[in-house]
Order: sequence, then C-alpha cells, then structure tokens
Amino acid sequence: MLKPILLVEDDARDLELTLVALERSELANEVVVVRDGAQALDYLRREGEFAERPAGNPAVVMLDLKLPKVDGLEVLKAVRETPELRSLPIVMLTSSHEEGDVVRSYELGVNAYVVKPVEFKAFVSAIADLGVFWAVLNEPPPGSAKAARRFE
Amino acid sequence: MNPTSTDLDTCASEPIRVPGAIQPHGRILVLRGDADELVAFSGNWEGVDECRRRVAALAPTMPALVAGESPAALGRLTLAGADHDISAHRQGDYRFLEFEPAGADFGTRAPIYSLARHFLPQMQRSRSIDELLAIAVRELKRLTGFGRCMAYRFDAEGHGQVLAEALDDGYESYAGHCFPASDIPAQARALYCLNYIRLIPDARYEPVPLFTLDPALAPTAIDLSLAGLRSVSPVHLEYMRNMGTQASMSVSIVVRGQLWGLVSCHDHDTRFLSFPTRAACEHLGRLLSLQVEATQDRLEGERRHELRELTLRIIAQRPDLDASLLGLVDDPAPLLRLASAGGVAVVLDDRCRSAGEVPPPAEILALAEWVRQQGEEAIDSDHLATLYPAASRWQGVGAGLLALSISQVHRHVILWFRPSVVQTVTWAGRPYKETRSDGRIHPRSSFASWSEELRERALPWSTAERAAVLELRQSLIGIVLRRAEELNQMASELGRVNKELEAFSYTVSHDLRAPMRHISGYVDLVLELEADKLGDKAQRYLRHVKDASAYSGQLVDALLDFSRMGRTALKHARVDLGALCQEIARELSRFEPARRIDWTIAADLPVVWADPTLMQVALRNLMGNAVKYSRGRDVAQVSVAAVRREGRVGIEVSDNGAGFDMRYVDKLFGVFQRLHQSDQFEGTGIGLASVRRIVERHGGQVWARGVPGEGAKFGFVLPIKEEKN
Repeated sequence: MLKPILLVEDDARDLELTLVALERSELANEVVVVRDGAQALDYLRREGEFAERPAGNPAVVMLDLKLPKVDGLEVLKAVRETPELRSLPIVMLTSSHEEGDVVRSYELGVNAYVVKPVEFKAFVSAIADLGVFWAVLNEPPPGSAKAARRFE
Repeated sequence: MNPTSTDLDTCASEPIRVPGAIQPHGRILVLRGDADELVAFSGNWEGVDECRRRVAALAPTMPALVAGESPAALGRLTLAGADHDISAHRQGDYRFLEFEPAGADFGTRAPIYSLARHFLPQMQRSRSIDELLAIAVRELKRLTGFGRCMAYRFDAEGHGQVLAEALDDGYESYAGHCFPASDIPAQARALYCLNYIRLIPDARYEPVPLFTLDPALAPTAIDLSLAGLRSVSPVHLEYMRNMGTQASMSVSIVVRGQLWGLVSCHDHDTRFLSFPTRAACEHLGRLLSLQVEATQDRLEGERRHELRELTLRIIAQRPDLDASLLGLVDDPAPLLRLASAGGVAVVLDDRCRSAGEVPPPAEILALAEWVRQQGEEAIDSDHLATLYPAASRWQGVGAGLLALSISQVHRHVILWFRPSVVQTVTWAGRPYKETRSDGRIHPRSSFASWSEELRERALPWSTAERAAVLELRQSLIGIVLRRAEELNQMASELGRVNKELEAFSYTVSHDLRAPMRHISGYVDLVLELEADKLGDKAQRYLRHVKDASAYSGQLVDALLDFSRMGRTALKHARVDLGALCQEIARELSRFEPARRIDWTIAADLPVVWADPTLMQVALRNLMGNAVKYSRGRDVAQVSVAAVRREGRVGIEVSDNGAGFDMRYVDKLFGVFQRLHQSDQFEGTGIGLASVRRIVERHGGQVWARGVPGEGAKFGFVLPIKEEKN
C-alpha cells in the first residue's frame, strides 16, 4: 500500500484548491489533511487524536508556512529533531518568497520550498509535480523504508 | 635673528653671586653661623682687630635673622667720623653685617612712611598695568632722584619692553623700546627674583676685595646674593658706561615667582642711596609686584568673564547644532570674537566649513590632520610656520593658529586663524653683543633706537583666549556626546520602525497574495467546469476577474521588492556597468524576438563600487523601459552612454520611443506614478521608483529628460568611492 501524503493547511480555500490540484495529478496516495502545526505533530508522533493510527510515516509532508498554534517552521524543526522523523521529506508551501523564510526553511532542512503561484494552472502543475516527485519517484531514505516495512 | 641664545650662555657663566669683592661705598663683615666668629671682611677696614671689635660690640644687640630675608636695620654708628647705617642678613651658614654712609632719612623721616602716604593710595586707584607702572616710576624717581626711571615688562622670550618712564631733561627717552633678553643673562634674572633691589652708585668704582681668616675658605666661596654692597660684573659696568650711565638701580617686579619686569633707574652722575631709601625702594618693588599681580588677575578675570559669556552665547543659541559641530560656523561672529581671530574653520574628518579669512580647504584639512596628530587638546602659536612649515604659504591669513581638538579618534578640530601683522620692534640699540679683537665678550655699545620688522607673526594668543577655547571645548564635547546619544536613540527607534515595517510587509506578502490566489483559482475552476453553461460575456467577465487578480498579485510582488530594496543592507562590490549593460541588452532582445532593436552601448561605461544585484535591477529597469516605450518604432534605438561629472560617474539610457512631457518629470520617479495609459504600456509603475531608491541609497542622483513622441533619456550618477578591502 502506498504511503499517504500529509497536507498541513489551515486556510479552507487553499485547502480546497490544493486538494483539487492533487486530485488532478492523479496520485494514488491517500491525502491526510490536518489543519494546524500541533495536529501535524500529533499525527506524525501518533499522539493525541492520532494515538491510534497505524504506524508508518507519510510519503511526504506538504506544510504551509503560516499556521495557527505551531507554525510551519516550528513543525519542520520538531521533525528534524525527532530521530524517527528526521528523514521525512517535507515540502514547504507558502504564499510568498520572503527571503528570511526561505533561508530559515533550508537551514532547518526542508526538502523543497514552493511559493504557491497566483495563477491557478501554475498552482495545479506545481502541486502535481511535487506530489509525483516526492510521493512516487523519490526513493525514501533506507532507514524510513525499513521502519515502514516492519509495520506494514 | 633672535638675539638671545649664544651671547647669553657666555654671560651666564659669570660668578655674579660670589664675586669675592664689594662696592667701595660701604664695608662688610661676615660671621659664621650663630657663633659670633668673624670669617671674612672687606679690605676697607683698618684691620682684623677693628673687625673683631665691631663684631664683639654688635653681637649682643643682633636680632635673630631668617636666612634668605632681605637685610634688617641694626641702627647707626660712627665710622671714620661719619654716621653709618648698619644692616644685617643671613645667607646660608653666614651672617653678613653691612655698613653704609647714613643720610638724614632715618627715624620718622624714613622714606618708607612717605611710600604709604603717597604711593599706596595712587596705586590703589590705578585701573591698568600701564597706569600702575607710570605711578611707580614717578614715585621711584621722587624717592631716589635718579634722572631716568623706566619700567619694563618681559615677554615670553625675555625681551623687555618699556611701558612707563619718568625722566629729567637731558635724558634720552626709551619709552616703547625693547631691551633684548640678552641684556640680562639667566643667572642675573634668577638673582633679581631673590634680591629685589640692586644699586650701583658709581659705575667707575674699584671693587674692594673680601679677605677670609680661614685659608681654606676662598673669598669667592661666600655668597653675596643678598648683600647690598655686592660687587657686580665688569661686563655690566661696561654696559652702563656704554649707555652713558654713571649710577643705576634696578627694582624687581616678581609675579608668581617669575621675573615679570624691572624698574630700572639711571643717572648721568653718581648717585648713592642710603639704606632706608633702598629699603623703601625694595618695599615699593614688592608692593608693585603684588599690585601688578592683582591687576593682571582682575583684568584676566574680566576678560575671562567676557569670553565665558561669549562661550555661553555660542553654545546656548545653537539648539540645532549637531554632533558634527559644522553648524558652529553658520553664525561666525561670536566664534571669531572669542579668539579675536580673522578666520575660523570646523573640520570633521573630510568635511570642512569655514568663515572669515582662512587658508584653502585642502590646506585646512592637512593642517587639521597635523593638529590631530599632536594629541593635544589645544595648540596655539603666533608663528605657526616654525611648527608647521606649510603655513608659510598662507601667512597672510594664518600666521597664527589656535586649534582645538574635539576628539582623539576622529579628525574633529576647530581652527582659529590670525593673519600676520607687520610688527615694528624698536630696540634700544642693536640687540647683539659683540666679541671684539681682545676675544672678551663686550656688552653692546649702542643704545640708539634700532627698528626691526617682524612680518611672519600674528598677534599672540592671550591666556584668557586659550582658557576660553578650552572651556568652549568642554561645552562642545558635552553637545557632541548629547547629540551622539540622541542619534543612538534615533537609530534604535529607526531600527524598531524598520522591524515593524518588515513585519508589516511580511504580513502583506502572505495575506494579500492568498485571496488573489483564491480568486484566480476559483475563477479557473468555474471556467473549466461550467464553461458550456456560461455565455461569452460571462466568460469574458470572468477572464477580467482573473487578469485583475493576477495583476494585483504582480503589484504586491513589485511593492514588496521595492520595500525590500530600501531595507536590505548594501553589499558593495566592483560592478562593471559596461558588461552588465551588454548582458541585459542581450536578455531584453531575447524577450522581444519579433522586434528590431538597435543597441548602442558605449565602450567606456564606468566601473563602480556598488551593490551588484541592485545595480542590475536599476539598469534592467532603465533599459527595459527604453525597450518598452520604443515599442512603436522600427527600428527602436536604445543607447547607453557614460556620464562623468566632478567626483561622480554613471550612465544615461536614451531611446527614440514615446517620450514624455517634461511637465510631469517630477512624478516619474514616484511609486505607482504612470504617465501612460496602462493598456498602452503595461507595468506596475514601480520601476523608476526602484531605480531612484537604489541610486539614492548609493548616494547618487537620478534624472530624466524627454520629448513627447521623440524619446526619453534616463540616467544616474554615483559618487566615486575607494574600494574597501
């Protein structure tokens, strides 16, 4: 079974448009949606409302930068500091190309940084490309693959 | 030529304190310590026995003597049938008894009483030094009967200038004349400070030798510094004879331990003064010294007070004065008056502002650097060229310099200049001693007026002026520190505002783009999913909605770029504008494959020291505009030329495009200012605003010229800066 894509997005409209885009990319992966950074960390750590979810990391996390409670950069930092999650591919989705955010994201070890295009067609193709690259083409790091196999 | 040094050295070795002889008008006995033991006597006693008898007779009545004090009167006795005054003093291990012929001026007729009656009240009424000295010479003349009494004051180099004079008919006037420092050798000056009075009744006298009883004690080992009868240097006697003077007396004016001046009395005849008269003269000298000191202090105090008020005015009236202090010169009058200067300049690093008569700016900067290197708070000279040779080039404005160093770190100085003045010094004779064929030093033989012009000097700076500028320095440092603090505060306030702006634009960039993305996204979805249900008009309207949202997205991006341009720190590097223009031209041509653009990029475009990214943005904007606004032309002609002005270099981009009306030139560089309808030429209206912001952040200027329908020229220049490694 394919590993899911974890989409972390607080804005309802962005969420809807992103889901449309993912749908159009015809990826077979399940898309798990959480609405803020705290929820995302709960999901990844299997805590709180996600304590019961089956083990295994998602194929890729699409993380909005500006999030309520715990923002994208904090989620990224927490993931990179947790040994079991460290090699999880994370794509930062953001509305702007503020230099500071880009620099800090890469410092914290983001795998890709994508500014959501205003143009919808461009947006769809960006999301699709991301999904295909990270969820399908990209070979996950050996450690995470092994761990995933064990729990499947 | 300066008539001070070498002549004086020879004279300075003369043994004036221990001549081993006395003048013949009196007799002397020298006793050892407190024992009444005779050790030496002058050769004009009848013999040792007489001397011993005198000692034995006088010893019981002798008062206690304090070493170094001037002689005390011991009463009178008869010697060889004539009344004699006896005086005694102590010097080192010896006591001295001097016997001199007495006059009628004893008891209540002693002249010292008339001094209190006559001289003191006049002296107290005097308001100036000159007046004081005039009173003193008159009084001395009255007391002594000398034919000429003159008072002179020594300058810093030891030359004496006659300030007051009282004379009888037949005496040459020396008023205003200068007596060179070499007239009085250093050890004589020291003696004048110790012993306030010296009398030579007859310049043609034959000295009477001292004899000692102990063969081990040489007569020339006995210090006669305080003895009234001390025999003087033969060189001095020759000097007197050359001057036509038979008798002379000098009374010292000592201010704060320094020989301030002398009252010098001369007579064509011999003139003997009794001990009480000499005591009165000495007393007069001491009173005069005190009063000179008091008057000087008072005048100095008044001048200081006046200058302090001026200092306060300079400071208090300048609330707008910044830490550079350059603004001080805006109102130069009080600043010039403070130091009675002809010109003043304030220098901060490479900046200089001046008022009045000053040397050229480059000379001022070099001088300021020299002043800074001296490491002194203040420097002054009335003859700057001796310290700083370059000053000889501009003596007409700055022969004299008074300089204040405000900071040791920066070149931050205030310079006051005084022009050279032609000062005529009238010497009382050529002020040079002569060595004649006999190889001996002779005093000068001529006392006829001899004028010398000093051309390279300014009027000297007074103590009060020096003190005033030092006080000004304290106040200015206060201002500089306060301004620096204010600047600091302002900088942190600016930093805070900048942070807020950053936060604001961050929010704008995220939150403003999201709704545009949503509009565009949903409109696309509607157009896609429901296209067949929508009429042509509805579809067209929705496309407008989409375009509008895309455009506002571009606007937001442009605005953010613009704000970032003003905030991020410049990263300077060497930028070859020629290479950059070539590259941008190739790129712009690639974007417009259908157009024919004739590029003319000058080969001599400058290389500047600037932020390469921002330079690229600026050039891309200017050249992009040229391409854009020449769209209607076939062939479009765009040229980039070099601009070189004084201290600045840059470029100018010209095109043969739409041009613009010069009436609107001021609007061109504003944010969102557009002179063309947007369906004619697309754009956000932010390009030229960015160019201006970039250029101004580099300290440069932008300009634009245009003719509607004919084309436009846009250019900028940047200051030439040294590359810093």
